[in-house]
Amino acid sequence: MLLEMKGAAVDYGRVSAVRDISINVEEGSVVTIIGGNGAGKTTTLRAMSGLARLSRGEITFDGKRIDNLPADKVVGLGMAHVPEGRRIFPDLTVEENLRTGAFLRRDKVAVAADLDKIYAKFPRLKERRSQWAKTMSGGEQQMLAIGRALMSDPRILLMDEPSMGLAPVIVEEIAVIIEELSAQGMTVVLVEQNAELALELADYAYVLETGNLALEGPAKELHDNEHVRAAYLGI
Amino acid sequence: MLDLLLQTGLNALYSASYISLVAVGLVLIFGVMGIVNFAHGELFMAGAYVVVALYSGFKLPYLLVAAIGLIFVGCLGLLMERTMFRPLRTNPLGGLVASIGFLMILQALASMTFGVRMAFVPPVTQEVIEFSERVRLPVQRLYVILAAFGFLTLLWLFLTKTRFGWALRASAQDPEAAALQGISINQTAKIAMFIGAALAGIAGVLTAPLISVNPHMGHSVIIAAFIVAIVGGVGSLEGAVVASVAYAFVHTFVTTFFDGVIADITGLSLMLIVLIIKPTGLFGTADRA
Repeated sequence: MLLEMKGAAVDYGRVSAVRDISINVEEGSVVTIIGGNGAGKTTTLRAMSGLARLSRGEITFDGKRIDNLPADKVVGLGMAHVPEGRRIFPDLTVEENLRTGAFLRRDKVAVAADLDKIYAKFPRLKERRSQWAKTMSGGEQQMLAIGRALMSDPRILLMDEPSMGLAPVIVEEIAVIIEELSAQGMTVVLVEQNAELALELADYAYVLETGNLALEGPAKELHDNEHVRAAYLGI
Repeated sequence: MLDLLLQTGLNALYSASYISLVAVGLVLIFGVMGIVNFAHGELFMAGAYVVVALYSGFKLPYLLVAAIGLIFVGCLGLLMERTMFRPLRTNPLGGLVASIGFLMILQALASMTFGVRMAFVPPVTQEVIEFSERVRLPVQRLYVILAAFGFLTLLWLFLTKTRFGWALRASAQDPEAAALQGISINQTAKIAMFIGAALAGIAGVLTAPLISVNPHMGHSVIIAAFIVAIVGGVGSLEGAVVASVAYAFVHTFVTTFFDGVIADITGLSLMLIVLIIKPTGLFGTADRA
């Protein structure tokens, strides 16, 4: 297992956000966490990348305990997190945003090569490289957030609601990007409210309900599960 | 009359130079750490007293004293970060109160070491550039103007061309998203405190031969810096520079043609007017105010 979360719980003050969550992510797979608003999906992802502290349980990444590391150390191990709401740096240019993603990397040649790769993948970012990030559309900002995460040369990509607030055409583009990344061997943990999309992209899925794991299984099986169909797919 | 206008313009440029050095540091620290550093005027004062101790006292060369002053006051900034602002990271009001305490400590230390009376600083240079009979620019004032221009250019290059510069700006805009890129807030806070404090320190070093050096000299400059930071738009470095120039020109001209009290009133009134028309300041954006 590349990433393993065991019996994890996160509290915000006295309020328990998630309880007893165990999630396994195999190298090269796409794992999705679906669930309604406030189910604890974002909290789970934040715990993985070190933005939220566990009150119980543990997280190991490539066999190494990471639950006590701050977020700025976790990324150095090869975990990139595309946060909810994109959170690009509005008053940095597009290129400065991307280069900031490579902050910890010292190999200038490799960073330049990765920058070119990302510009090839997202031509619109190249066109707008010297523009302020805040002047871009929502879809472009999402691509920038993904590009910034990839600039850290990660082994695993955590994505929080990449489809949020985007037009269907753009959501389709994002889906294609995730498929391409997966085909190239990237491990992805995808948190989504758009369960239809998430189950289509993922190999394995977890369903969170009010802070607890309600269900898990191969994405195809969950797609046919009656409860999932009624509660999340609206069928 | 033209001579008087030109001379006043030169005086204003000189004030704008050291006010902007102080204000930019104040804004940088607020941007990265979210803390209003009330002790910033005392960092300016500390820079001036480095000159009193090493240049007036030990007769070291002025350039060496300037370098020592820059580094010494920068390190005072690091000390403040480590002992006050880092433990109070989640408590900006606490940081503000702690900085007021630090202000008093620095004033008391200066009074105990050097006395409360004005300290004597011998002139570094007596040279004066005479543009005409009544338009004169003392060379020491020219040093202040050139140094401000030089240091602000260096700061701009650092912020826009280096990875630590991007990190600092990223951290100021969204500390959590910056952490996800591997940028540690402790690291950027240290850099911001060192640079911000060092800029105030060098302003004190440069102006020490020109103004009255005493333990309470930080007071007037911090008020000017606050006005400038607010008018420029809190969090905007370019706003702070533009507002410094505007404020210094208004203040100097009103002082020359009326008097200093009216100039203070005018400065504060202009701040009120700007805040009424544009509450985020000239260059500020809503999410940072």
